[in-house]
Amino acid sequence: MRLHPISWVMWALGAATCALLTRNPLYLVRIGLSAGLVMLTAGTRTQARSWQQLLKLGAVVWLVTIPFNALMLHAGKHVLLHLPQTWPLIGGNITLEAVLFGAAAGLALWVLLLIFSAFNIALDSSELIRLIPPAFYQVGLITSIGLTYVPQMLKSSLEIREAQRVRGHRFRSWRDTTPLVMPLVTSSLERAMQLAESMEARGFGGSGQEQTTRQQLFNSLLALCGMALLVAVLGIQLWLRQYPWWLVGLFVLALGLLGMAILRQSRAARRSRYRPRRWHSVDTLLTAGALIAAASMLAARIVGGTHLQYYPFPPNGLLPGFTPWVGVAMLFLALPALVSLALAPAPPSRRTEEGVPQ
Amino acid sequence: MITLEHLTYTYPQASQPVLNDLSLEIDDGDFVLVAGPSGSGKSTLLRCLNGLVPHFYGGHLTGSVRVAGVNPVAESPRRMAGIVGMVFQDPETQFVVDTVESELVFAMENANVPPADMRRRVEEVLDQLNITPLRQRRISTLSGGEKQRVAIAAILTLRPQVLVLDEPTSQLDPQAAEEVLIALRQLNTDLGMTIILSEHRLERVVQFADRLLYLPGQGGDLIDGTPQEVLRHMPAVPPLADLGRQVGWRPLPLTIREARRYPPLPLKADTGSPAQPERAGEPAIRIEKLHYAYGGTPALAGIDLQTWGGKVVALMGRNGSGKSTLLKHLVGLLSPQSGRVLVMGQDTRKVDTEELVKLVGYVPQNPNSLLFADTVADELAFTRRAHSLPDHDPGELLKALHLGGLRERYPRDLSVGERQRVALAAILAAEPQIILLDEPTRGLDYAQKGLLEEILHAEKRAGHCVIVVTHDVELAAACADRVVILADGQVIEDGPTGAVMARSLVFSSQMVKLLRDERYLTVPDVLRDLA
Repeated sequence: MRLHPISWVMWALGAATCALLTRNPLYLVRIGLSAGLVMLTAGTRTQARSWQQLLKLGAVVWLVTIPFNALMLHAGKHVLLHLPQTWPLIGGNITLEAVLFGAAAGLALWVLLLIFSAFNIALDSSELIRLIPPAFYQVGLITSIGLTYVPQMLKSSLEIREAQRVRGHRFRSWRDTTPLVMPLVTSSLERAMQLAESMEARGFGGSGQEQTTRQQLFNSLLALCGMALLVAVLGIQLWLRQYPWWLVGLFVLALGLLGMAILRQSRAARRSRYRPRRWHSVDTLLTAGALIAAASMLAARIVGGTHLQYYPFPPNGLLPGFTPWVGVAMLFLALPALVSLALAPAPPSRRTEEGVPQ
Repeated sequence: MITLEHLTYTYPQASQPVLNDLSLEIDDGDFVLVAGPSGSGKSTLLRCLNGLVPHFYGGHLTGSVRVAGVNPVAESPRRMAGIVGMVFQDPETQFVVDTVESELVFAMENANVPPADMRRRVEEVLDQLNITPLRQRRISTLSGGEKQRVAIAAILTLRPQVLVLDEPTSQLDPQAAEEVLIALRQLNTDLGMTIILSEHRLERVVQFADRLLYLPGQGGDLIDGTPQEVLRHMPAVPPLADLGRQVGWRPLPLTIREARRYPPLPLKADTGSPAQPERAGEPAIRIEKLHYAYGGTPALAGIDLQTWGGKVVALMGRNGSGKSTLLKHLVGLLSPQSGRVLVMGQDTRKVDTEELVKLVGYVPQNPNSLLFADTVADELAFTRRAHSLPDHDPGELLKALHLGGLRERYPRDLSVGERQRVALAAILAAEPQIILLDEPTRGLDYAQKGLLEEILHAEKRAGHCVIVVTHDVELAAACADRVVILADGQVIEDGPTGAVMARSLVFSSQMVKLLRDERYLTVPDVLRDLA
């Protein structure tokens, strides 16, 4: 059994929210650990390898950026090294505080990358496209074609490069790009025409919408009103710089109008769905876990004093603070890993103890 | 099922109609093969059946078309999708999504087919085309034959009454083509589906067809009838039919089995095989114990091979047997991981690709990869400039390649065969000693294939070393002195064409299959020895 795409989207959003709201390495490590576990348990697919490569690259970038931070920030009491003050920019104390601060900032970015990788391994791009509401059917179709088109383009560009190279073509100036670009452009255009023809023959072509002009007009009006209201609300908010209750109400109304327009448009698009994914109780559990984690992080931010930020420079200590309930909430993000392990037909011999939510 | 009356169609901006006053009827359940040279209007005729002509192409159409009682000219191709299913030449350009199952359902979701119905239809087409094991696969990981079968399956989910295929096997190797044709034959015989197919390589399909339509092009009249009748009157035909015509077999045999039923031909007794000419001097290419692996997967596992100037070598074998990897070693795009490759006595590891490509010309499978200039003459001039050779009048070379009149034409506007020859001319302009061709006959009609054979013979006479990677056994039989067969990165067969073909069941020409004699590779070989 596989999890519903929406619950994966919820998980990714929840995890990313958490990672974006904190710089505290103690929380980040928990988020990262959860995402890593999810990636390991979901990663039976072949793409897992290329994402692991990306993560390695990300780790290298992270390690390289730490010295930069240390060379630029000279505050802090724990001096590791002293560079002459006369050296521009980098001159001054190299402190442990600056190293730790840089490492924590890099960790936040790397954890985001980890979440993104785990999400991509768990959920196929085509499944993601299927989540696009029928009202935006054309957008989904174009994205989908693009995804199949790009690898083909890369392949033919390699062929062209090799063929021209063997023909004696050398790259000396910008004019030498013509023999490489022209065949690629013309064959891409030819391919696009062939695809268009084949799609026409298979009955795609049109929007497939059967509704009267009046209905369409009404939907467009609805969407337009929603958009206008949304822009107005944002403008007023910028001007007032506060959130009165009536503005929140108007915001909700704008979203409602937009949602209604999309819903009506989607219903009018006559399309059926093959094997719609069913929503299981596990999906509810998973979504709840992601929501709890994200909500806790937001609550922690609003409540304050929960050590979300990490600023090791004086007068703060080197070690980050820790609020137990926030730390525990982060572990809810590991739920998908537990679910996959519990539901796997033959339990794989992977680590199962780590990341168990208390 | 299908009725055409006085159909005349002219493409926009064309001065002459491509289809001229065409009338014909096709019955329900027929398997119709449409043949004819490139540009004779085969594709146009097929596209009239679902309204792509004139809706997608524009132009001017008169006369009437009816398919299952519906007029595709009045309706749109989109409306015709439920009646006429159309499969195209290139399997790459027919897919919208990335996995097999989602591709199968995509058109149905669009047509608002109820989910229960969709499930049933998917299972059915998976069985009909024998692709059940592929259902979860990504389309990019499939072979050409598998892709084309998935494309057919995706069309069949809409339950068309007629299946129209425009050269569906021209981009495939023989095994893949066979898979597709067997599937089509099953659809025709088991389900009685009407199938209309255009094809260049008649020898593959002609035995399946109930009816053959020959469009001669250039305003000539349509020849219509059973395959046996039509083959009698067509200008260029498969070797077996050609032999049958020359020795007066009636009805013409379509398969080897049918030809064997005729009394044996009175051929001269074997006078001993002609003496093989001495292999004089230094080999043009010498490959010694060549190994190469892509990231741990071996592609070449100990190749030993030598070739000399003035010879044509056909390099054959399945897809993935290492042919392309071997070619890339000869032009220095790849370096041996162990063993060595000597081209005109120079080790490819020690010479730059720049130096190497002065000796070796390489014509890629897809001529479009090379062509970029505004005129044919510019293409040739570019190659000479790239090799720092002085400018030179290309007239003679173009004439030798039958491109004399096309000098100032835009290469991309030419026919497949002409483009193939322009690509060849662009390579030959640098006067290479060694010429490599990758699948040069793909998509060519019989006449253009004949021209290519002539050109290869001329290169051989000029003392050049020619290596042709091909699946086309008839091309190998007509041109090659030697056949080398690769399998799993190793040479499993290497010898004179006749001897290799007489030993092999797969890599042998129709004449060898019929007569089982290494002296007779082509029809002229047989006719010469007829008493």
